[in-house]
Amino acid sequence: MEPEPIDQFERELRQAFERRPAPPGLKRRILDARARRQTLRHQHRMVLWQRLAAAIVLAAVVGTGFAWRQHQQVRKGEEARREVRTALRVTQRALDKINARLSARNHTDQDQGDHE
Amino acid sequence: MASWQPDFEQLVDQHQAMVFSLAWRMTGDRGLAEEIAQDVFLEMDRHIGTLESPEHALYWLRRVTMSRSTDALRRRRVRGVDLWVEIADEHGAPAEERSSPLGARLEQLLATLPEPQRAALVLRYQEDLSPDEIAATLNAPLATVKSHLQRGLKLLRAKASSQLKEFIRGA
Repeated sequence: MEPEPIDQFERELRQAFERRPAPPGLKRRILDARARRQTLRHQHRMVLWQRLAAAIVLAAVVGTGFAWRQHQQVRKGEEARREVRTALRVTQRALDKINARLSARNHTDQDQGDHE
Repeated sequence: MASWQPDFEQLVDQHQAMVFSLAWRMTGDRGLAEEIAQDVFLEMDRHIGTLESPEHALYWLRRVTMSRSTDALRRRRVRGVDLWVEIADEHGAPAEERSSPLGARLEQLLATLPEPQRAALVLRYQEDLSPDEIAATLNAPLATVKSHLQRGLKLLRAKASSQLKEFIRGA
């Protein structure tokens, strides 16, 4: 006969501890909070993408600037080399002319010495 | 077999009363219980992809609600706030949310039990879970849960027999 009172008490407990209805508007508040959070998450994602895009543009600008500078330096180097070559060619021609004149003079002097 | 596609709104509809009731009975604070319910469902939204079946969703909700309620109680204890004020005084609650006089008194008595015993009894008598299921929900050893159930029930019966004679015949 001992378990009977416990069973009765447990039955009372089950009845007393039935689920309470949720407060009116709880679902609405949950859905609103979810929507707010999704909007926030979307905004955060947008900000992240914007930052990423800005970083990519910045990297592209810096990279292009660096490449342009490199190109300019190479171009200037090539130009300087061409100028040096031209200068060397001009010098070479002048030296050749001088050399030719000196050779001609040497021949003339030698011929005069032979006649004498 | 097609995999289960959880519908957030439908899950809120189905389980809001369960989540709210668990949180209220654990904390005794209606406002706090609403906050916990909201947090639990938002947490579920974050993990909705990991829920495999309606049973898994129910188990997950019970587990997270109990854990959040325990956390809330711990935070309140740290702040020195006295809980279980509102559950005794339900004047603020809409009429449909008020429990019967016996229910209210039993909830008051439940409030006086230690927290682990309260958790075990709420899951046992509100959710009709077996000790195994309670152990899984609370992540506690089965023997501990059985002990909490036994002691909690004994304590509650003793309190009820001395304080609720007019309501309970079998206590």
